[in-house]
Order: sequence, then C-alpha cells, then structure tokens
Amino acid sequence: MAPSPSTAADAPVLEARGLAKSYGQVVALECGDLTVAGGEIHALLGSNGSGKSTLCKILAGAVKADAGELLQRGRRITLQSPSDARDAGIGTVYQETSLIPALTVAQNIQLGIEARSRLRLVDSGRSRREAVRRIEDFGSTLGIRFGPDDIVGDLAIDQQQLVEIIRVVSRRPSLVIFDEATASLDRVQVDGAFALLRRLREEGKSAILVTHRMDEIFSIADRVTVMRNGRSVGTREVRDVDPAALIDLMTGAPADAPPVSRRAQGSEQPILTVRDLSSDAFRDVSFALRRGEVLGLGGLQGQGQSELLRTIFGALKPKSGEIEMAGIPGAPATPAAAVRRGLAFASGDRKRYGTFAIRSIFENLAIARLAQSRSPLVSRARLEPRLMQSISGAKLKFGRLDDSISTLSGGNQQKVVIGRWLDTDPKVLLLDDPTKGIDIRAKRDLYEMFSVLQEKGLAIVIYSSDATELLEIADRILVINGGHVVDELKDDRKTEFELNAAALKGA
Amino acid sequence: MAGFSRLAIPLIAIVAILVVGEALSPGFAAPRQVFNQLTVASFLGLVVIGQTLVILAGGEGIDLSVGAAVSLGALVAGNVMNGSDAMILPALAASALTGAAIGLVNGIGVTRLRIPALVMTLGSTGVITGILILMTNGKTSGRSAELLSQMVAPPLLFGISGIVYLWILVGALATFVLHKSRFGYSLVAVGANEQAAAMVGLSVPWIRLAAYVGCSSVSALAGFFLIGYTGSVFVSIGNQFVLTSIIAVVIGGTALSGGSGGFVGGALGAVVLTLLQSVLIPLNVAEFGRQMIFGLTLIAFMVLYGREPKST
Repeated sequence: MAPSPSTAADAPVLEARGLAKSYGQVVALECGDLTVAGGEIHALLGSNGSGKSTLCKILAGAVKADAGELLQRGRRITLQSPSDARDAGIGTVYQETSLIPALTVAQNIQLGIEARSRLRLVDSGRSRREAVRRIEDFGSTLGIRFGPDDIVGDLAIDQQQLVEIIRVVSRRPSLVIFDEATASLDRVQVDGAFALLRRLREEGKSAILVTHRMDEIFSIADRVTVMRNGRSVGTREVRDVDPAALIDLMTGAPADAPPVSRRAQGSEQPILTVRDLSSDAFRDVSFALRRGEVLGLGGLQGQGQSELLRTIFGALKPKSGEIEMAGIPGAPATPAAAVRRGLAFASGDRKRYGTFAIRSIFENLAIARLAQSRSPLVSRARLEPRLMQSISGAKLKFGRLDDSISTLSGGNQQKVVIGRWLDTDPKVLLLDDPTKGIDIRAKRDLYEMFSVLQEKGLAIVIYSSDATELLEIADRILVINGGHVVDELKDDRKTEFELNAAALKGA
Repeated sequence: MAGFSRLAIPLIAIVAILVVGEALSPGFAAPRQVFNQLTVASFLGLVVIGQTLVILAGGEGIDLSVGAAVSLGALVAGNVMNGSDAMILPALAASALTGAAIGLVNGIGVTRLRIPALVMTLGSTGVITGILILMTNGKTSGRSAELLSQMVAPPLLFGISGIVYLWILVGALATFVLHKSRFGYSLVAVGANEQAAAMVGLSVPWIRLAAYVGCSSVSALAGFFLIGYTGSVFVSIGNQFVLTSIIAVVIGGTALSGGSGGFVGGALGAVVLTLLQSVLIPLNVAEFGRQMIFGLTLIAFMVLYGREPKST
C-alpha cells in the first residue's frame, strides 16, 4: 500500500491516519482519519469534544500528535510547528484570528512575507502595494468594510475574520483549513468566503471546512467526515446523504440508557421568569422556571448560554428584557443582589469563577454563607458543623478542612464550589457547564447533589457542553443557537438527535 | 496552622541579627536595648499593619502614600495639640479623620476610577506632600503635648514603652478581625480571587476601599504617635516608612499578589528591619551600604519564600 512516486500525483493532498492526542488523562483525539483529495472541499462535522478541533490543530502544526501519521501526496510528513505546516502549503483560518491588533490590515496581510529591500530591511511601500493587490483580488466578494491602512484592532470582529481569510487564502495554500471561521460572519460574507473556496477548488486546491452549520455543508462541501468521541466514524459524499443521516452518524447508536424517569414536578407558580432578555451575546430569551424544575440550556459552545446565566445572576448587564424572581421584578444589578434574592451560581471554570486557590477548604466552603451573613463576626465552631451537614451528601473527599483547596481533585473542588451555596438556602441554582473536565465518578456525585436539591424544591438552570449530561438531568432543554432560543425540547422530543438537529440548524 | 513555617523565617532572622549584634557590640541583645528597638519598630509596625491590609486585598494593591499619610497625620496632630494636653483626644480624632480621608481618595481612585494602585498612591503622595509644604513652608510645625510624649516613648510597664503596647493591641485587633470576622474572610477571598469573590456576592470594590481607608488611618495614627516620640514634625518625617513597610510585609511572608499572609509576619518583618538598621550603626556602615544591605535582605527573603511549595 506504500505509494510509489509515480502515483503521487493521484495520491490525496493530505491523509491523516490514526492520529491521536491526549492531554493528561483526557483523550482529545483517539483515532483521527481524514483523506482530502485534490480539488476537494471536505467538511468536518462533530459535536463539542468530538476531536475535530484537535485534528485540525494537528494538521495546522499547532499541536503535535501522540500517534498516527500524516501523508502529503503519499509522502510522510511531520509537522513540528505552524511554520512547518505553512511550508507544506497548509493554511489555517481560525475562529479566533491570529492577527496582531496594533498593526494595520496591510501589515497583517504581509506579516512574515514582507517585501524586502536589498539590505533585507522591510520595504514597507512595496509591502503595502502587495497587500492592496491581495485585498482587491480576494476581498471583492467578501463585503469588506476596511482599507489597507486601518488598524486591525479597531475593526469589528467579522471584519477581522475577513482580514484573516484574505491573509491565509491570498498566500495560495494547497490546502486551506477553515476552523469554524464562518461563525462570526453573516450570510453575505459566508457566501463570499465560499466563493473564494470554490475559486481555490477550480485551481485544483483543497479545503477542509469545520462548521456547525448543516446548510453550509450542503451548499459547498464535496465530502463530509463525521467525528464522534475522538474518532472518525465515517466519510460520505455530500450528494448521497441528508442532514438526518449525518446527525445519526454524529450521535451514534441510540444511547443504551433509557431516559431517567422524571422526578415529580413542582408547583406551577414560576419562581424565576425571564422575558425577552437580550444582550450582545443573546436575543429575546424567555422562559419560566418552576420550583424543583431543571431547565437545560443546550446548543453548541459559545452561543450565549454562559452570558445568559451570568446576566441572570447580575454579573452582566442586559440590554433589554425583564427578569422576575420570586415575584420581585427587575434584573439584579450585582451578583450580591442576585444572591439576596435567592440565586446561586457555579461555573465549570473553577479557577476563574469558583475556587480561592490559595485558601483553605473551610474558607472556600464558608465564603458564600459569610457573604450573606449579617453578623460581623465568624464563629467557626458554629459554622463548621452546619457546613459539613449541608454538604454531607456530596461525598467530599478531603484531608483536613484547613488544607488548601488546591489539594483536592477537580471534582472535589467543584463539590466545594457548588456545596458552598447549600447552606445559604438558594431558590434557583445557575450552573454554567459545571462538570467540565471532571471525572465520571465525581460527575455522578454532582448529579446526586442536584437531584437532592431538586427534591427540596430548588430549581436549576444548567448549561452543559455535554449533551448526554443535559439529556439526563434536565426536565426540558432550551436549545440556543447564535444567541436565539431555536427550540424547546421536552418529553419524547428530548433526544440526542433533536438536540443535535436544533443545535446545528442554520442561524 | 499553615502560617507557622512562614513565621519561622523572620524569627530565625531576628535571632541571628541579635546574636551578630551582641558579638559586634556587647549589650545589643540586652532586654533594655531590645525594648528600645521595639519602641522604634512600633511606628513602622503600625504602618505595616495598614500596608498588609492593602496588599492582602489583592488586585495589585499597594500603598505608596503611607509615608505621606504619616507626615500629614503627624502635622495635623501637632498643630491641633500645639503642646496642650487637653487637645490630645481632638488631635487623635483629627489625624484619624485625615488618614481616613486619604484612604477614601486612594480607594475611590483604585476601585471606582480603576487607576492602578501604584499610580494612584504615588499621585496622592505628590498631592499630600504639596499640601505639607504649603502648610509648613518646609519648617517644623506643631508640638506634641507633654502627656502624649510621656505615654509614647518612656517605659510604661515592665520597662516597655506605651507605643509598643499600643502596637501589640492594634496588631492583635487586626489579627482578630482577619481570622474571626466576616470582613477578614472577605478580604482574603477578594485578594485570592476577585472574580470568584464577586460571584459569591461579595462587593469587591467596597472591601478594597475599606482596606485603603484602614491603611491610611493606621498610618496617620502612626504619625500621631510619632510626634509624641519626636516632639515636633518636619515634612518628610514619614518618608522612611514607604519602602520599609513594603519590605516588612514581604519579609513577614505576605504574598504581594494578595489573599495570603497576616499581621504577625508583618510585625516580625518590622522588627527584622529595625534591628538590621541598628546593627549597622556601630559598624559605621555608610548610607549607601545600608541601602545595599536592605536590598540584599529583601532579595534573600524572596529567595527563601520562593523555595517553599506553592500551596500554603
């Protein structure tokens, strides 16, 4: 099967075989296979954490694979760095651009390939002219609203993305990777970017398109490879499949666990009502939450779910809309005000929003209670038994309460971060991807914690990047896509298929 | 208590300096001499309590205006008293209020206007120094009351001066607040992780503001008592405390990044610096030499703490 030089011309432009990558215990990519032919636009599809981003990063030279091999036109290559990938003719457009904000558009486009004078100094005049030519050549269809001398940091995010696209595409890579690069673009801009891709295709060049938008795949891709749980699970000709078949492939065999029997619903009186709430990150979100209910927020990562939760909690300001909590109208102005009304919040981003890493387990547990306390003094003798009582169900494993919280595992840290609220008697618990990066045992313990709280009448709003988790613990799920609630899933529509279908709907 | 290992380092340093000092000039470590040193250290020690508050509160908190607060506190006290015993309490109140006002300005600048603490407190130092010069024309001004001078410097009880008792009292109070009060828990939480603190409902700006007010108030009070020690006030009387208070905080094991440390360490740090200063006197070390030794001491302590495991 070793390709001889004579067949190299027909060999795939790029072939990945069995690529694997782990970060510590976490397997990000188990077996990445991908074959991109010359003159092909190849879509890569998969839900959050399926490994497609890791695969792209390996192809871009940004991440080194632990195992597997990479062949370019039948010849084995190794990519040690992004510059290796660039030299191999692979250009990558990321969702978060790699532009330098302080430089102009022209300087960014020419970065690293500046025209040089005879003394090897940058010939800025010639560089700029070269950049202008590239912008005219590739930017005409993109709906650009910048000139070559504009500072990139002053541009809107979609315009920055277009600069990045021009920069990468104008260097004529033989393979260009669009890693969710269309997410911040509007319809017209996406069409323009696709026109560029088609032009590259006509020149015999190839593209990998990572996207969550099903309609994009069907409008431009020739083939599509689907990834699930770190493995490539299939490659299809786009003309031979329909969206439902792709979603089935993403989801895999129906999960063997039957839907958990739902706990008794609480009273009908809503405890938290959100009406037409809007901000920069989300628009017109409405829901009513009842006692003892678990409301899930679904959808792909970064669709405004975190911002929604933090807005309800008073950490971000809404632009418009209403929040009514326990009959009191008005959005809380600060988290402190939200807590006073009976809200509690825990984030999966423990380091940033959760733990006080250099402080003790006791202090980490006590702080939410103390922040609410009216007494100026702290009686540890009184507080400690109460706190231990309230987290007794969490199966917290620790040495001594005076040990630093950093001595705990991630899962146990998260039990503390959530458990600190239990003694404050909250009415609504807001959870922002609370089990991110936590092992399965600790996850089970947390689920148990949630269900105990729920039985006590606490309502929960949870966003999770893990679809299985969301389906298991939420009574109903609002699917958020591009900041809009695009679907509400409950009862027999609360399935992984529906969740994926709604999450991938074109915004 | 995790703090003990940290306290061991300055304690060892104190013993070492005493031993070296005794060897160089016999009598250095005699009780009477040590009590004198403590009297000198107590003014710095009071300022260190304030500096510790601000540094514990995190957010790159530091107060470079403590020296100016000491000077202004002393000046206000000296002018209110002007030698009259009856005016001691009004003078005390006036310098405390002066300090609180300085802290309020610093705190508002840092928390509301989001000016970096380094810049804000440097700026307020400039303004206060200007006010001082304006008020005094650069001459000494104001006099301590006789009663205050009697209470501050001479031995009061067991050969120990009143100011040392006061320092111990304020330090104990601060330690109690840090470990036993809601404010203390909140202060270190804000210093350790301000975003997490905000998410449990703590008001980060108010807590930091309180730290700045506390710091300047304690510094101005140090100025009030300092005039009892020196008798009268000159404009730059507080300058010596700016860098020494920060060095003492570091020597005491409080993290400059905030959220970890305490007042006992800071007190030991103040003693280390005072002893170091006086051990150099019989050696006839010139000013530049002293500065170098101070600098090297600071670096040496940083190296020692750097070797400790990260978690405390």
